[in-house]
Amino acid sequence: MKITQHATDTTLTLVLNGELDASSSVVLDTELGKPEILKNQKILIDCQQLNYISSAGLGVFISHLQTFQDADVKLVFFNMQEKVHNVFEILGLDSLMTIVPSEADAVAV
Amino acid sequence: MSFPRKLCPFLSFFAVLSWMGLLGGTLLYAHPELTGGRIAPPGWLLLVLQAMFIVAVFMRERAAPERLQGIDFTGLLRQLLLRPALWAVAGVGVHQLVQLVSGPGQGTGSVLYTVFYTLNVGLFVLLLAHTNYAWRALVLFRSNERLRRQWVWFEVLLGATLLLRLLPWTPPMGLASALLGVLAAYGAYLSGRQKWVAFLNRRQKLGVVLFQLAIIVVMGVFVAYFLYTRPAFRLVGPATQNAFLLLNAFFAGFYALMGLLVTLFNLPTAGVFEQKREEILSLQRLTQLIQRGQTEGEVYSMFFDSAIQTVQADAAWLHLTDARDPGFEPRFQLQPDQGEAIRQQLSHMQLLDLEYLNNELGASSFRKLALPFGSLMVMPLSSSKRHYGNIYLLKEHTQAFDRENLSILQTFASQTVLSIENLLLIQASMHTQRVQDELKIASAVQDSLIPKNLPIDNWFEISSYAVSATEVGGDFYDFLHLPGRRLAVLIGDVSGKGVTAAFHVAQMKGIFHALMQENPLARNEREKYPVPSRFMAQANDALGRCLEKSAFITASLYIIDYEHGGFVFARAGHCHTLYYHSIKEEVSYFQTAGLGLGIIRHDGYEKHIKNQFYDYNPGDVMVIYTDGIVEARDAAQDEYGEDRLLRMLEQSYYLDAEQIKAHILADLHEFSKGQPMHDDQTLLVIKFKSAQPEAAL
Repeated sequence: MKITQHATDTTLTLVLNGELDASSSVVLDTELGKPEILKNQKILIDCQQLNYISSAGLGVFISHLQTFQDADVKLVFFNMQEKVHNVFEILGLDSLMTIVPSEADAVAV
Repeated sequence: MSFPRKLCPFLSFFAVLSWMGLLGGTLLYAHPELTGGRIAPPGWLLLVLQAMFIVAVFMRERAAPERLQGIDFTGLLRQLLLRPALWAVAGVGVHQLVQLVSGPGQGTGSVLYTVFYTLNVGLFVLLLAHTNYAWRALVLFRSNERLRRQWVWFEVLLGATLLLRLLPWTPPMGLASALLGVLAAYGAYLSGRQKWVAFLNRRQKLGVVLFQLAIIVVMGVFVAYFLYTRPAFRLVGPATQNAFLLLNAFFAGFYALMGLLVTLFNLPTAGVFEQKREEILSLQRLTQLIQRGQTEGEVYSMFFDSAIQTVQADAAWLHLTDARDPGFEPRFQLQPDQGEAIRQQLSHMQLLDLEYLNNELGASSFRKLALPFGSLMVMPLSSSKRHYGNIYLLKEHTQAFDRENLSILQTFASQTVLSIENLLLIQASMHTQRVQDELKIASAVQDSLIPKNLPIDNWFEISSYAVSATEVGGDFYDFLHLPGRRLAVLIGDVSGKGVTAAFHVAQMKGIFHALMQENPLARNEREKYPVPSRFMAQANDALGRCLEKSAFITASLYIIDYEHGGFVFARAGHCHTLYYHSIKEEVSYFQTAGLGLGIIRHDGYEKHIKNQFYDYNPGDVMVIYTDGIVEARDAAQDEYGEDRLLRMLEQSYYLDAEQIKAHILADLHEFSKGQPMHDDQTLLVIKFKSAQPEAAL
C-alpha cells in the first residue's frame, strides 16, 4: 500500500495505491487522524490504483466520517474500481459517502 | 568388578600367609632352641618370605579401590593417619612399653621381642604401602599420561630393589649407594607434583598441614625405632629389605614434607584463591538459578549478595529502574536518602547508567554529601535493549576498589542480565501459552454459541457450514422459532478478526435473542415481534454504544413464515441473498439497499434500511453466506465472486439443501486450493419444500 498526497489550499488529495488491508489501514488512519486535515474543505480519495479494501480499511473511513461531517469537510472518492465500489455498495456506504466517477467530478462536488 | 579388584582377597590372604611364614621363620631363626636346633631356616628363606610379604601387601594396596573421593584430600589423609599410621605407632608403642617393663636390654633375645619386631615390620610395610598409594592418588591428581607412565616406572624400579638382597651377588657399596641415590632423586622429583594443594580452602589447608606433620612424625618414629633396634638386628634375623623400605619411607616422608611446604607457602594466598573460588561459585549459582526457573527477585538478591560478598562492600544498594514490586530494592547498611543522594549526584554528572569507580569520595564532588564512605563503585545492569538498574557498592576506606573488582562485577552484572532476560523470555512464552489455552477455551465457548441443532420442519431443509480462519471468528448465524410457524434466521459478520470480533459476535447473539421477544404492549399481532428493519435499527442503537469507532457489523435477518409461504428480510450491509426462483427457473441476487450496523450511530439509521417481502414457492432455494465465501482467493489472488457462486446454484438448485451446500463447497475448495484462508466462511442453504406433510398425513 502506497499513499501519496497532493494538497492545494482547500483540497487534499490522497492517492491510494495497492491493497488497503488491516496493516496498511493503520497508516491511512494516521493520515486521516491528523488535526490539520480538518482545515481542508475537501478530501479527495483517488481509488484508481486501489485493488482491494478490507473491512479494516472501510472501518478507517467510517470512523472519520462523523468527524469530517461535523467539521464540514467533504470526503469524496473517485476513480473507484468496480469490485471496490461493489464493497462500498454492499455495505451501504454509497448512500453515506460521495463516490463519483472522475477527478473532474470530484473537484466539482 | 575389575580383575585387580578380584585379586584383592587372594593378595590379602597371601600377605597374611607370608607374614605367618615370616613370623615362624624368624622365630626359628632367632630361637633355634625352641626346636632343639633341628630346624634352622637359612637367611635367604627369610628374605624371600619378607619380599613375598612386601610384594603381596603392595600389590593388594595397588589393586584396592581408589581411596581419593573426588577432591576430598583431607579425607584421604585422615584415613591414612587413623588406620595404618595409628596401628603402626601403637605397635611401636606397645613394643617400647614391653621393653620398659621388662627392663632395658633385657629382653632383646626373647621370643616376645622377636614377635613384636616381626609384627612392627609388618605394620610398617602396611603403613608404607598405604602411604605410597595415597601419594599416588595425589601425584596423579589431574595428571597427564606421561606422568602416569613415570609413576609406573617408579613402582617398577622400587620393586626391583627388592631383588638386591636376594641376588647372590652384592653390588659394591658405591654402586648401591649411587643406585639408591638415583631412585631417591626420582622420588624427590615426583614429590614436586603437588597440584592438589591448590584445590584446598584455607581451613582445609590448615588441616592438611597438621596431617602432613603427623605423617612425618610417624615416619620419624619408625626410623628411630629401627635405628634403636638396629643392635638387635643380628640377633633377630638377617637385615630386612633395607633398600626398598628405606626408599619408600624416604619417598613417603619427602612427599609429605614437600606437600607440607607447598601448603604452608600457599596459606597466605589461600584467601585470594578462596575469593576466586567464591566468585566462580557465585557465578555458577547465578547460572543455576536461571535453569531452575526462579523469580526475578531471587536472581537480583543472588546478584546483590554475591556482589557484596565478592568485593566485601561495607554498604550497597540495588536500584531497579522499573521494579515490578516497588518494595524490592535490596539495601545493605545504606540509608535510603544516602543512596538517593548518590544517584542524584551521578545523574547530575551525567554518569548514571555507566560504570563508575571513585576511590576518593571525600576529594570529589561527592564531598558535599558527607557520606561515611571513601570509595564508590557503580555498575549498570543493562542489555542492548533495556536498562534494568544500577548496583551501588561502597567501602569506608579510600582506594578500596580496583579494576579487578570492576571487571568481576561486570561479569556478575552481565550474567544477571542474561538470567533476567531468560526469565522474561520464559515468562513471555508461558504467557503466550496461557493466551493460547484461553483462546482454545474461547473457541470452544464460541463453538457452543453456534446452533448445533438446525431447525427441522417438513416445510424446508436447512444445511449449514461455518469455519473460522482463526481460533475465534467474527462470523455468526442463529435461528429462533417464533410462534405461529415462523422462523427467524440471522447471519452476520463482525469487522476485524480475533477476540474483539468474537466478543461482538456474542453480543450480537445476545441482542438477537433479546429483541426477538414477544412485546406484551403490542397492539396487534404484527407488532408482537419486530420486523427485520426495526430489529436492525434497535440493534444499531444497542451496538452504537459499545462498538469501537472503526468497527461495524453486517447482518441479514430473515423471518420466514412457512405457514403462509413467505418471508421478510432486511440486509444491513451484509452480502446479497442468492435465490433460486422455481417459478421463473432463474437464479438471482436480491438487490436491496441497507447500511451496515454501527456505521452511523444516531436515529437516522432506520431510513437506510429496507424490508423486502417475498412469497416463496416450493422448490425455491435461498443461499445466504458471509464475505469469506465470495472473497476467497485462488493462486492468482482472484476472488471467488458472486457470479461463480450464482453459477453453482444454477447447477445444483434441484438437489437437497445438503447436496447443494456440498456442491458449492466442493467448487469453492477446488478454487482456493493451497491458499491460506484469510477470513471466516459461513454458508447456509435453505430449500423450501413442495410437500405439505400435515396434508399428507
